[in-house]
Amino acid sequence: MLNLDINGRRVTVRKGTALLAAIREAGFEVPTLCHHEALEPYGACRLCVVEVREEGRDKTRVVTACNYPAKAGLQVETESEAVVETRREVLDLLLARCPGSPVIRELASSMGLHRSSYPPDQNRDNCILCGLCVRVCEKLGFTAITMAGRGAEREVAAPLKEPPPDCVGCGSCARVCPTGNIPLVDRDAMRRIWDRDFEMVRCTSCGRAYITREYLESRVEASGLPASHFELCDECSRSRTAQTMYRHMVLDDKEASHE
Amino acid sequence: MSKMLMVTPGRCIGCRTCEVACAFRHAEAGVPGRSRVQVRTLAKDVWVPILCLQCDDAACVQACPVSALWRNAETGAIEVQEDRCVRCNVCVVACPFGNMTVESPKKAVIKCDVCGGDPACAQFCPTRALEYLEV
Amino acid sequence: MQAIGNFDELKKYREGLVSARDPKRKVVAVCTGTGCKAYKCDDLASALEAEVVKQGLSDKVEIVPTGCHGFCERGSLLVIYPDDIFYQKVSVDQAAEVVSKTLANGEILEELLYEDPVTGKKIVKESDIPFYKHQQQLLFGPGRRIRPTEIDDYLALGGYEGLAKVLSEMKPDEVVELILKSGLRGRGGGGFPTGVKWRTCRDAPGDTRYVICNADEGDPGAYMDRSLLEGNPHSVIEGMIIGAFAIGSDQGYIYVRNEYPLAVSNVHVALDQAREAGLLGENILGTGFSFDMRVSRGGGAFVCGESTALMASLEGFVGEPRAKYVHTVEHGLYDKPTNLNNVETWANVPLIVNKGVDWYTSIGTGDVSKNPWGGSKGTKIFSLVGKVKNTGLVEVPMGISLRKIIYDIGGGVPDDRAFKAVQTGGPSGGCLPESFLDQPVDFDELSRAGSMMGSGGMIVMDDRTCMVDVARYFVKFLLDESCGKCVPCREGNRRMLEILTRICSGQGVLSDLDLLERLSRSMMRGSLCALGQTAPNPVLSTLRHFRHEYEAHIVDHRCPAAVCRPLITYTINDECNGCTLCKRVCPQKAISGEKKKFHVIDQDKCDQCGVCIQSCKFDAIDVA
Ligand SMILES: Cc1cc2nc3c(=O)[nH]c(=O)nc-3n(C[C@H](O)[C@H](O)[C@H](O)COP(=O)(O)O)c2cc1C
Ligand code: SF4
Ligand code: SF4
Ligand code: FES
Repeated sequence: MLNLDINGRRVTVRKGTALLAAIREAGFEVPTLCHHEALEPYGACRLCVVEVREEGRDKTRVVTACNYPAKAGLQVETESEAVVETRREVLDLLLARCPGSPVIRELASSMGLHRSSYPPDQNRDNCILCGLCVRVCEKLGFTAITMAGRGAEREVAAPLKEPPPDCVGCGSCARVCPTGNIPLVDRDAMRRIWDRDFEMVRCTSCGRAYITREYLESRVEASGLPASHFELCDECSRSRTAQTMYRHMVLDDKEASHE
Repeated sequence: MSKMLMVTPGRCIGCRTCEVACAFRHAEAGVPGRSRVQVRTLAKDVWVPILCLQCDDAACVQACPVSALWRNAETGAIEVQEDRCVRCNVCVVACPFGNMTVESPKKAVIKCDVCGGDPACAQFCPTRALEYLEV
Repeated sequence: MQAIGNFDELKKYREGLVSARDPKRKVVAVCTGTGCKAYKCDDLASALEAEVVKQGLSDKVEIVPTGCHGFCERGSLLVIYPDDIFYQKVSVDQAAEVVSKTLANGEILEELLYEDPVTGKKIVKESDIPFYKHQQQLLFGPGRRIRPTEIDDYLALGGYEGLAKVLSEMKPDEVVELILKSGLRGRGGGGFPTGVKWRTCRDAPGDTRYVICNADEGDPGAYMDRSLLEGNPHSVIEGMIIGAFAIGSDQGYIYVRNEYPLAVSNVHVALDQAREAGLLGENILGTGFSFDMRVSRGGGAFVCGESTALMASLEGFVGEPRAKYVHTVEHGLYDKPTNLNNVETWANVPLIVNKGVDWYTSIGTGDVSKNPWGGSKGTKIFSLVGKVKNTGLVEVPMGISLRKIIYDIGGGVPDDRAFKAVQTGGPSGGCLPESFLDQPVDFDELSRAGSMMGSGGMIVMDDRTCMVDVARYFVKFLLDESCGKCVPCREGNRRMLEILTRICSGQGVLSDLDLLERLSRSMMRGSLCALGQTAPNPVLSTLRHFRHEYEAHIVDHRCPAAVCRPLITYTINDECNGCTLCKRVCPQKAISGEKKKFHVIDQDKCDQCGVCIQSCKFDAIDVA
């Protein structure tokens, strides 16, 4: 365990805790865009900056809380002048990149920023290159999409910019994207994502198309269970559970009392 | 010694009070959520409330690729760590009983968490079809 | 060659090498560095060799194809020892003459001598040539006399003596202490005290430690690391083995930029030779100390030279930086304590071991006896380019003034133009004006002046250089080379470029300057790695020292150096005699005028390409 001061408040956290977690535990808020608890810290959006003074040092420095380890004796300011200026500048830059993104607009205006200091980009989507989609895909074991290009050319892309062969259409990337930038369309038992069409498997009971064939296959493989194990959607699984339960508990009772 | 939510199907009268209680207990900012318990009608006058069995060797926990599901040692219930959930829905597919639920694509999956040890469903069930009992 | 089993054998082997060499035998060191390759230096070396055989001089003369001599613009070049005769711009067909006249008869070939551009005098001896006279080639010197691929040449010059000394007389801690006391600071850019780094790495918990040599060298126009590795790979390898011993590492890596095939192959040869000689690998010199290393080809991006990106790349991942809040000396390659140093840093190590701290600290600035940050010691190699008469690689003692480098070694600005600025430190360095010319060149002075040492790029600019345009050039480079991962660097550089482009095209407003300053602050504070953190330097240093040029662009819509096309006008003055040449060459057909009559430029049609001014033989066209 180690002690540190956050905005003057003494907090105790376990060794190895990220500063961001310590700050949140202490009840303060720090905005983030590229952070997800399930993924390794990435440090790309720079929104989570805070100002720290390390023990025994005179100078403070601005660091990103998501990947900075909490240290004993650390003094942390989450809203200092330098922090606010840096955070505002990041949002100013993002606002110019994605002027149409409600998420970015909201974050910016929460810092009193209603218009960017820079000319807004035209014809650009709302990707802020936080990398969450790429990282979640990698975490799930598919690595169907990657970051491609450098500098201003950087983008999220499938290999060779073709529909990604390793994609199973699970849709996690679309759900985790903070700006909702990844189009996912389910229609007529087909799912379209990353310019690829996936056939969806129907629940053998209700007929609802509830999962893509590729995702189902990956589940069959990962679990070692037969495909029949997954033939019902969750709603129908529940109904089946209800029936089983009823059979066991009510009918068994009745049978017992008949005897 | 721990407690469990016990279902006695024969007692259920299909009033769905449990669903309402659950939805309100899990309300966020005043908006009731989707219920974690669901009452199924099997035949005329036959109802069964279904909720998570908190399996010992839970398929959902095993399937979760990001360890967002964990067992609360105090209540024995499996809970979702919402900020870890990546909405891959693997657990939804994995649960053989259909007890993992997608509330909204933007939010973490939901499941019965026995309300942290004071389940609303059992509290409000008029017929004790749902009971929170020592086992 | 048989493995050398102990210190005695090494000594004997060396003595054998030295006594086998006839001191009276002439040695012709022909530069075969990459810079000279374009001048067919390899053919020249073979031709000389063939002539020597043909003219029966084999036992009197030895031709030694060496690494880079630094004076690349004069290639092909050679030096004849012991007379120290320097020939430049030697072509292959002059080989016969060099052998028959100079080598056989001692006759000097006037046409191959260097002519001092300042005095106009021909100079015979290399050591009298200003370009070399003011240098102190501690690192480069040896490489200019040996064959890079012959370990015997290196051994004969006392190579691996430092390693033997360390292994036979010193404890690892003492070696760390020695480097600490020497005040050696990293030559890769940051100027971090090498001894401090070694000590932290040595003290970091864990059994496995790595040492790495950073030879990624991505600065445009810089090639000092390449020259060192190509010309004297053993000096770098020896430094690394000593470092590994001090730090407690048994595995090293040399991360070489992908575009350096000759460096890669010379290093491979050198590693094989060192292994064969028992100087690398298991049980080095019979001491029980084992260390080996591997060569890895770079990821092909500038940012791969950044320490964490380099390590990611070595591990087979994309070369992208990560946060350095946990230092690589503690958690580096494969999460193990890792010591990364630059090529030039490593090459300094054997020198310090051999000659001692007192000697080393006598070169340079400040006092490092108590504090390794207290000064800058030893020499630094610069890549001197741009508007100077003599360009090339120059190695100078720390503390030398910019003026000495630019004027005494570089010979000053050509074409009688006025000096305007010198850019030091590579793409994220800064531009210093004339008033800084007498500033001593060391890590701290350059930083104080708003520039930096960087890896040693030095670009001289004359009065025809627009400083806003220069800033724009570097920002463009950094934007292209940024990995694009973090917002301040990727978006910040993009916006910086946008603003500078605006200013260069006369569309800037004064508040743009405040915006640039504000953006710079946030980029420096908020970027993930040093690329983004230092990227504003070109802008800030030009804003600091040449603000009036920015203002001229914005307020007066004028580019004082007449570089920014939208802001300049070409006009024809009274010198025009109506030769019609400009009228004929103008691609826009913007010039009109009768033969032998005064010509005029139609400003609406002119697109400022400048072809006319180049074509006019009578200085009749003005640009402003
Ligand atoms: C964008 C970037 C590029 C770099 N490129 C190089 C390089 O090509 N060679 C190098 O030695 N150091 C380079 N560095 C510096 C290294 O990160 C590191 O500080 C250095 O290799 C450490 O060695 P030293 O202490 O001997 O200088 C670069 C740094 C940054 C931020
Ligand atoms: S698409 Fe969304 S999740 Fe992926 S990098 Fe862009 S903003 Fe982040
Ligand atoms: S500062 Fe630039 S190069 Fe460094 S991580 Fe950020 S985007 Fe990449
Ligand atoms: S959340 Fe820390 S940099 Fe994005």
